[in-house]
Amino acid sequence: MGNGRNVGHDLNMPNESAPQLLNVQINGVWHQFPKGTRVIEACEQVGSYVPRYCYHKKLSSPGNCRMCLIEMGMPKMGPDRKPELGDDGMPRVYWMPRPQISCAQDVSEGMGIRTDSPLAQECRRGVMEFLLINHPLDCPICDQAGECRLQEFSVEYGAAESRFLENKVKKPKNVELGPRVTLDDERCILCSRCIRFCQEIAHDDVLGFVDRGSHTVLTAHSGKRLENNYSLNTVDICPVGALTSTDFRFQMRVWFLRETKSFCTSCATGCNTIIGTREDVIYRQTPRENDAVNSSWMCDYGRLNFGFLQSENRLLQPQVFSGDKLIAADWNTAILGATAQLKHFSGSEIAILASARMTNEEMWLTAEFARLLGVELIEVVPRTGPGDDILLSRDLNPNTSGALLLGLTREPGARLREIRDGILTGRIKGLVALGENAIDLGLTVDQIKTLPAFTVMNILANEAIAAATAVLPSFGFAEKRGSMINGKGRLQRLNRAVRGPGQARDDWEILRDLIQSYSGRNGIYTIEEVFRQMSAAVPQLAGLSLSKISDLGVQVLHVEPISPPESTGVKIEAQTLESEKAGR
Amino acid sequence: MDLTNTPLSTELERKIDEAIGRYPPDHKRSAAMPLLHLWQEEFGFISDDGVRWIAAKLELQPINILELVTFYPMYRQAPAGKKHVRVCRTLSCAMAGSYQVMEKLREAMREDKNYSVEFVECLASCGTAPVCMVGDELHENVGPERALDLFTRPPSRATRHSPHPLECRLIFENIGRADYTTDIDCYLRHGGYEDLKKAVTMSRTEIVNAVKTSGLRGRGGAGFPCGLKWSFIKPDEKKPVYLICNADESEPGTFKDRYIIHEDPHQLLEGILISCFALNAKTAYIYIRGEFPEGAKILERAIEEARAHNFLGHNMLGTGFDVEVYVHRGAGAYICGEETGLIESLEGKRAYPRIKPPYFPAVLGLYMCPTIVNNVETLCHVKHIVALGGGAYAQLGRPNNTGTRVVCVSGDVQRPGYFEIEVGSVTMGQIIYDMAGGPRYGRMVKAVIPGGSSAKVLRADERFKLKVKQADGSMAEQDISLFEIPMDFDSLAAAGSMAGSGGVIVLDETRDMVWTLNNINEFYAHESCGQCTPCREGSLWMKKITDRMLLGGGVVQDPDTLKTVADNIAGRTICAFGEACAWPTQSFVEKFRSEFTQRSQKPAPPPLPPELTSENLIAERTISVTPLAHDPGWETAGTSGMI
Repeated sequence: MGNGRNVGHDLNMPNESAPQLLNVQINGVWHQFPKGTRVIEACEQVGSYVPRYCYHKKLSSPGNCRMCLIEMGMPKMGPDRKPELGDDGMPRVYWMPRPQISCAQDVSEGMGIRTDSPLAQECRRGVMEFLLINHPLDCPICDQAGECRLQEFSVEYGAAESRFLENKVKKPKNVELGPRVTLDDERCILCSRCIRFCQEIAHDDVLGFVDRGSHTVLTAHSGKRLENNYSLNTVDICPVGALTSTDFRFQMRVWFLRETKSFCTSCATGCNTIIGTREDVIYRQTPRENDAVNSSWMCDYGRLNFGFLQSENRLLQPQVFSGDKLIAADWNTAILGATAQLKHFSGSEIAILASARMTNEEMWLTAEFARLLGVELIEVVPRTGPGDDILLSRDLNPNTSGALLLGLTREPGARLREIRDGILTGRIKGLVALGENAIDLGLTVDQIKTLPAFTVMNILANEAIAAATAVLPSFGFAEKRGSMINGKGRLQRLNRAVRGPGQARDDWEILRDLIQSYSGRNGIYTIEEVFRQMSAAVPQLAGLSLSKISDLGVQVLHVEPISPPESTGVKIEAQTLESEKAGR
Repeated sequence: MDLTNTPLSTELERKIDEAIGRYPPDHKRSAAMPLLHLWQEEFGFISDDGVRWIAAKLELQPINILELVTFYPMYRQAPAGKKHVRVCRTLSCAMAGSYQVMEKLREAMREDKNYSVEFVECLASCGTAPVCMVGDELHENVGPERALDLFTRPPSRATRHSPHPLECRLIFENIGRADYTTDIDCYLRHGGYEDLKKAVTMSRTEIVNAVKTSGLRGRGGAGFPCGLKWSFIKPDEKKPVYLICNADESEPGTFKDRYIIHEDPHQLLEGILISCFALNAKTAYIYIRGEFPEGAKILERAIEEARAHNFLGHNMLGTGFDVEVYVHRGAGAYICGEETGLIESLEGKRAYPRIKPPYFPAVLGLYMCPTIVNNVETLCHVKHIVALGGGAYAQLGRPNNTGTRVVCVSGDVQRPGYFEIEVGSVTMGQIIYDMAGGPRYGRMVKAVIPGGSSAKVLRADERFKLKVKQADGSMAEQDISLFEIPMDFDSLAAAGSMAGSGGVIVLDETRDMVWTLNNINEFYAHESCGQCTPCREGSLWMKKITDRMLLGGGVVQDPDTLKTVADNIAGRTICAFGEACAWPTQSFVEKFRSEFTQRSQKPAPPPLPPELTSENLIAERTISVTPLAHDPGWETAGTSGMI
C-alpha cells in the first residue's frame, strides 16, 4: 500500500508483483479487494448483490438509473491526517450523508459500504416506484416476464399498491428498430445500455434518445436502422421488456425453456451460448459469458443459425442403393451396404471429404476409418467470410483447429482439387462425404454419379444425395455431445440440447459402426471412450476427458488464430439464415 | 458537398466552416449546435435533410443530430409562422399575466397562418414581466391589455432608475445609464481593460491568490469559493485548460447576467481574459443561452473589438500569451446551467450532467481536459478583485460572504429590478420594501423565494434562529423575522433556504400556493433532462399531482404523496437539479400545508375515476392543451394499442 493510509499492515503486506489489496468494510465486515475493483462488483463478490439497471460490467457507467444507491463512507481522519482506528484496529468510517451510486466508483482503502441500510433500502424503494409509475405493467404478455429485472427487484423493493393516480405517459409501441429487434418504448426505462452497447462494442452508433424528460424515447434515425450483426445483444442486455427479438417474441414463455450450455458453431470463434429449448424444439440461442472467448456477446448470424436443425430438409432415414435406386433401410443394412460398397476398392481409389464442422471425436474416428480403409486422400472444406474485428471470424468453420491437430488436413481445402480431378479421371471410385456436399468440389450431379460408391453422412438433403449409394442421416450441433477447438486453440464442449429427429443418429456412432463393420472389431461404447483414446494419442489433449472440459472450455493450443486460405477454387456456401428459416 | 436536396448558399457554407473552426479539429462535434442554429436561421426549421447534412458534415451519425434537435426546445422540426412569438410562462411572468397574454394572442392569431405562438420557459427578464419574444426581439412589460400591440409597436425598454442609496455598485456601475454604450471606446473611456493590463504584470499565482484572499463565492447558485475552484488546476498542467463562462442564465427569478451581457459586455470579457491569463487557459467559451440572440451578437462584436486592441488573440498585450474567446449559443435548455451538463452540451451532445466522481470539471471537463466553469457575474468580480486587490475586496460584505452581489427582485413588488448590494449589508426587508418598493398598495407579503425558483420558500410570518456575531466578537443566537435576514449566503442557508442565484421572488397574499407550486413544477417537469430516474419521473409526477389538485381532483393523500415524491428525488440524482425540483415542493407543502390540505379533501378514489382522467378534462377544456415548446405530443395524439 505504502500510501501512508495503510492500517492493516499486519493483514496485508503485498509483494511487488501481487495486485494491491485494499481493506473495505461491507455491511460491517472487512474484506480485501484488488485495487480497481468497482464497488458494485466488490459487494457482489461478498454476497451483497446490489440491484442495478443501467450498470453493465462490460460497458461504461453512466450512473443514470440510481438503483444501486448505497451508503458509503471514507476513513475518518485524525488531526495527524491518519485514519482514526476503532476497537478492532480498523479505521472508523465517516459515513457520507448522501447515498452514493456504487457502479461508478472503485473501492479505496478504508472505505465503508452499507448495501442494506434503511437509507439504501428507502432509495431503492423510491427508484422502483419511479420506474414503475409510467411503466405499462403488461407483464402477462411481455416477453421479458420471468427474466425481467423490474419484476425481480419489485419482489424486494416494490409496493403492492400504486400511489400513482395520474395517466401514464404514452409512447410509441411496436417500433421496428431494425430487421431483428422490436422496441416497446413504454416499457423502456432509459438505462441506455443498448445505446452504449452499439457505440462501445458494435461500433455502430445507431441508437439514441430523442425528446426530453419523462417524454424521452429510445429510437434510431429513420435513415439508419439497427441492423448491425450484433443487434440482438441489445435484447439480451435490456433489463426490461423494451427491446425484444423479433424472431423470439411471443414464441415461448421463458420459464418453460430448458437451458443447455453450449457454444456457437457458425464460425471459428465458438461463442459460448445457452440454448433455450422446450420439448425438442429450439426457441432461442443466447450468449453466455466467457471472457476468454466472446465476453458477453455473440453475433446475430451465429445466434439465429439454428433453424436448419428444424428444417423440412432434414435427412431422417438411412438409405442404401439397391438395384437401381436408393431405398430406405434400417441402420444395420445401411452401414453394411456402405462398407460393402467401399470394400470393392483399394485405399488409393477412395477419398474422404471431411468437414471442419465435425467434432474432435468425429474427426478422430474419421482418421481411424481412413487408416482402416488405407485412404490417404482426405480433406476438409474451408469456409471463409469477411469476418469483423469484433467476434465473427474469417474462418466460418468451427473446428479447423481440430482438423489440423487431428491430421484431417494440413491446409484446409488444399487437396480438394485433387479429389475432384480423381473423380473426373475415374481414379477415385469411392467417396465418403462427411457433413459436406460433394457439389462443393465443383462437380455436377452427373459427374458424381460416375462414382461406383458414394457414401453421404449429413444433416440436410442436398442435390448430391441423388448420386449417393448410401445415405447416413446424422445430428446437428445442438443434438450431440462432443468437443471442438476454436480458432484461438480453446477446447470447448457441445452439450445435447434436443434429441435428433427421425432415425438420424449421432455422427460418432455412425462412424464407429462403419469402423466396426469394416474391421469386424468391437469396442467403443461411449463418446468418452473416443475422447480417451484421442487424449492418449494427442499430446495437446493429454490428461483431459470430455467431462473434464469446463463450461468455459480449456486452452489446449497456443496458436495464432488460423487464417484460412484466401481462395481454393471451390465455391463455399455457408448455411445461410434464409434457408434455415424454412424449418420454423 | 452533395449531401442534401436543400441548396446551401455560399454564405451559409462560409459561416458553417467558420463555426466549425471554433472548436478543436478532433472535436468537430461541438459545432453541432452552432450549425443547427445556422440552418434554422436560413431555412426556418431543421428538416430531416438538415439533420443528415449536418451529421455528414461533422462525421457523425444522423441520430446524434436528431438527439440534439429534439432535446433543445429552440430547434424546430416544422416551420413556424412568419412572426413567431414566444411567451414566457414561468413564475414571475405567469404572476404578471402571461397566460392571459397567451390567450389573447391565440384568440387573435387563430386563423392567421403568418403567426405562430408558443409558451416557453423563463426568458430571464423577470423584472420586466411579463415578457415575450417576437422573433429575436424581446418585448418587456407585455401586459394582457397590451398583448396585441406586440406587432405594431417597437419593443419597449423598461424604465431604469438610478441606484438606490443602499446599493453598492461595482459590477453594475455603468449598467442602466443612458449614456453608456456597449462599444469598446465607451468602455475604454471608463477605464476599461486597465485591470487586464495590470493583471498581465502579475504572476499567475498572484492573481489566483488574490481571488482566494478575496473570498469570492460563485454567483451562479451554489456559492462555491471561486479561488478554491481555481486552485484545482495544477500550475504545471500539461493538458490544455479551458475556461467556460456560464452565461446560460435560466434560473427563474434571475436576470442579472442579461444586463451585464447586453449593456457591459467588455466588463465580462475583461474578467474572462484576466481569468484565462491566471489559469493559463488559452481558450475560453462563453456558453450563452439561446434566448439571448442579441447578447450573443453583442459579445461577438466585443470580442472582435478587443482583438483589434490586442486584448485577446495572438500574443495578448505582448505577453506571449495566446488566448481566444468564442461565443457558443445554447438552445433553450435549463439544464445547461449545470456545469457538467453545459460541458456535454458544448461538446455537441444532449446536456446530460455527468456523474461526479469521476467527472469533476477541474480534472475531466471539456474534452476530458481541466476546465473551470464560472458564472458571468463571478467573472466580472475577478476584474474588480484585480483592481482592488484581494484583501481590499474582502473588506466588502461580511466574512465568508464577501464582495457585492446583484439581487434580482421580481413578483409582487412595485419596483421590480436589479440591485447590487454589499453581501449581507442589506436585509430582506430593506430589499423588498425600501429598494423594490414593497408589495402593491394594500397588499401584504405572504412568502418569499429568496434565491431563484429552486430555493426553498420562506413564509413572511416565519421566525428564524440565526447565529449573529456580536460587537465583542462572540456569537449569539438571535430570533429574527424573515425581513431581518441579512442577504448573504450563510444567513439564508441558516434560515433553511439559499442565496442561490440571487433571484428574489415575492409573493403577496393573493397568491394561491398550489397554483404557484404548480407553475414551478411545470417548469421543472419541462426542463428535467430525463437522464436519471428520480428527477425524470418525479418531476412530472409532482406536476401531474398539482395539476389535478388545481382542477379540483385533489385527494387526501396528495400533500403526503407530494412530500414523499420530492423526498425520493432530493439527494438521489446525478446533478443538483434533483434538489432544485424537490425543494419547492418540499417547502411549499410543509409551509403552506393548510392550503394543500384544503385542495385535497376527496377520499382517495379507487384507481382513476372518470372525472380524474385528463382526457375528459381536456374535452371539457379545463386543461389547456396549448403546446409547450417541444411537447412530443404523445399524450394527446394517443397511440395504437399494439404492443
